[in-house]
Amino acid sequence: MREKTVIENGRVRTLCRMCDTRCSIDVHVRAGILTDITPADGNPVNQGRMCPRGNAALDVFYHSDRILKPLKRQPNGDFIEISRDQALDEIAEKLQKIKDDFGARAVGVWKGEAVGFLQQEEYVRRFAHAFGTPNYFSNDSACFNSRFLGHYLVAGFWNPFPDYSRAGLIFLFGTNPPVCHPPFMSEFADAKARGANLVVVDPRLNPIACYADIFAQPIPGTDGALAWGLIHQLIQTGSYDQPFVERYCIGMEEIAAYARKFTPQVVEAQTGVYADVVVQMAELIRKNQPWISFYVGAGLEHHENGVNNIRALAILACLCGALDIECGFGWPETLNRNDLTLYRELPLDKEKPIGADLYPVLYHIRKECHSMTAMDYMLGKGEYPLKGLVVTGANPAVTNPNIRKVEKALSNLDILVVNDLFMTRTARLAHYILPAASYLERSEVHINHKHQRVFLTTKVAEIPGVCDEYRLWKDLAWRLGFGETYFKWENETEVNRYILEPSGISLEALQARPEGIQYKPLCYRKYQFQPLPTPSGKVEFTSSYLKNLGLPAIPEYVPPYHLRHTNKDFPLLLTTGARMTLFYHSRHQNIERFRQVHPQAVAEIHPDDAAQLGIVDKQQVRIVSEIGSLVIQAKIVHKSELRRGIIEVYHGWEDWRINFVTFDHITDPISGFPLLKAVPVRVEKP
Amino acid sequence: MKVVFVEIERCIACLSCERVCLFHQAEIHQGHAANIFVHVDMDHRRIFTATCRQCEVAMCMKVCPSGALSRDPRTHAVVVDKNRCIGCGLCVTACPFGSVQLDGIQRVAAKCDLCGGDPRCVQVCMAKALHFGSINELAELKRKRTDLKLCIRAMHWQKDADHEGEDGN
Repeated sequence: MREKTVIENGRVRTLCRMCDTRCSIDVHVRAGILTDITPADGNPVNQGRMCPRGNAALDVFYHSDRILKPLKRQPNGDFIEISRDQALDEIAEKLQKIKDDFGARAVGVWKGEAVGFLQQEEYVRRFAHAFGTPNYFSNDSACFNSRFLGHYLVAGFWNPFPDYSRAGLIFLFGTNPPVCHPPFMSEFADAKARGANLVVVDPRLNPIACYADIFAQPIPGTDGALAWGLIHQLIQTGSYDQPFVERYCIGMEEIAAYARKFTPQVVEAQTGVYADVVVQMAELIRKNQPWISFYVGAGLEHHENGVNNIRALAILACLCGALDIECGFGWPETLNRNDLTLYRELPLDKEKPIGADLYPVLYHIRKECHSMTAMDYMLGKGEYPLKGLVVTGANPAVTNPNIRKVEKALSNLDILVVNDLFMTRTARLAHYILPAASYLERSEVHINHKHQRVFLTTKVAEIPGVCDEYRLWKDLAWRLGFGETYFKWENETEVNRYILEPSGISLEALQARPEGIQYKPLCYRKYQFQPLPTPSGKVEFTSSYLKNLGLPAIPEYVPPYHLRHTNKDFPLLLTTGARMTLFYHSRHQNIERFRQVHPQAVAEIHPDDAAQLGIVDKQQVRIVSEIGSLVIQAKIVHKSELRRGIIEVYHGWEDWRINFVTFDHITDPISGFPLLKAVPVRVEKP
Repeated sequence: MKVVFVEIERCIACLSCERVCLFHQAEIHQGHAANIFVHVDMDHRRIFTATCRQCEVAMCMKVCPSGALSRDPRTHAVVVDKNRCIGCGLCVTACPFGSVQLDGIQRVAAKCDLCGGDPRCVQVCMAKALHFGSINELAELKRKRTDLKLCIRAMHWQKDADHEGEDGN
């Protein structure tokens, strides 16, 4: 590989893109070779520190398995190298043919996490609408969107990153923020040093719970009952923020009436959290009002009642008056910038976006199609066929539920194009694989809403033949005949310039300040002088929007699937998705030193369950659900590390794909999210 | 003299330090274990993290019969010369803190060498629990924190007293 670096010797400052927190880093270059990555000062996000993943960007950049030439699959299944022009010509021709034969909507595009955020997503959305298809899919329809919708339906916004350091009480639900978002760690430690209280609600004990004043291990999927129980306690004792609720909220009577039945005893029966613990939690909330950071993690969204559970927690936060304050539920002010999407210019709502009929909220609010339903369309069971798919940086053949079906569906496509860095499980099914550029080879605008800062990442090096994201969509667009109109910029720098145009911040100013520029001072309690971005302009405890769609107006609690359909054959619950510090979903497994730490997948199991089943540590076991099974090594954890009856497996392993076991047919009615955190299973000895 | 020290109340046991230390050992010394130790006591829900204190009077160095342990003149870290180490394990026995260990495969002593003056573990400690500096900085940090705690406690006393007054009325 002959890379070309932007400087011959020295350091280049840019943002790390190994996960989505985006820390400032220095990339060291010596004699045209990237030699090291060290943390950089000046950025409030990471404050001169970096996690062990940061350094691995070089391993990715120089990895011997990296795809550097376009590949085309032969009829016998082998891949041969072809030129980029030939690959793009053939792809464009095939996409055009599908458009002519079946209409533009028979082609979909799918954005993933492996290459990046913001522009990447907007390039993909722009391309889809310019091509004429509304079918945009992304990894967000199995992560993030439920939490976004849960908060959005209550207050009209969500900023996923609270500032924990200023909280008096940190309330964590189903999350492990120090591992998911390493920069949160110093905020926790700051809050702790100031004497903040901590409540952790999670079936799994993560080290952060060592500091918890209250640590509760509920039955998965019952968080809604706990939220309602706490709401009931606050209302009953009159210890909510009454002036705030009277002025800025609607639907108080309805939720007060509904909450009445959630006495601590009812909550205990539902969630398994002791009644007096619920009372103690409410007491901590009362004492610390309004300085509470409620943080809801991905643990709550992968349930068929996920959005409503999250909504109930968002309501709880608002009852405490913890809306748009320093420590949480922030209302982010965004940069005044040009948007690359074409929803105003080319709306395609009438083209029947996939899943918009089943999950209208997901499409209306997020403009996303439902990726699980897309599998049916690919298999010819939909209203119209989905024949072609262009995937960039996504790996649904590992991370989507029911992957037997996913693989069948992807194999059924007339054309599958995958743009990625490595030969992923998804890429192996592709007809064409294009080499993607890693973040070190791209320059992009990034916005951090928590600190209200805008950044420009710097391109550090270039590998001949490997093109950035913009070039990919631009070259395809020009071949398909809409480049002139919609992809007229010469290169990504010109796009960056266009994006920043209305902001008043020039590209050059950003280039000179790699640690970012704050575009607006942080301002709190904005609801006092402007209406909230909800239909009513107020905090909506009851949503007329949902009511009009035939859904319950208040976030009614529905017991989870496994409590409604108890099945003696599947007595245990499988939960997937607890994060690991070194991997990021299905990424970084091919980095050798990371594999020394995590050599193989394990199924975490409670010692009492293991004893009952006669399983010993490191024994191979088979996890069986209604639809599939997986053989995996058992790891018996400490008795307090997991709630009894739960098996935990990491979701991103390429070689131990737990999604063979998970379902795609039990979904949340609002967001369409799959059930991944409480799948009824049994464990057998193979 | 600069050492790596832990502000133990800030550690959240993300294990990043252990991991980069392991990577560093493997890369530089072909080692197989980390030389910083994070212990999570699940029974009592407690976290404890420690690494070599680079003692002024280093027992490990004193007992070494082959002269394999010496003080790096630049960093003042006690370092192991792998070629001179005979693998007797006396240094492991002598260290009162358990900060020296015998590499399981190479059978030579292994301990923190401060990465030659730029410790990787400190770079990756996003909780800012690990610091690289004089041990007196730790004392200063502790003083600051105690002051802060006292202030906050005083504020709470004041608040509680106010509340009691309200209830009484």
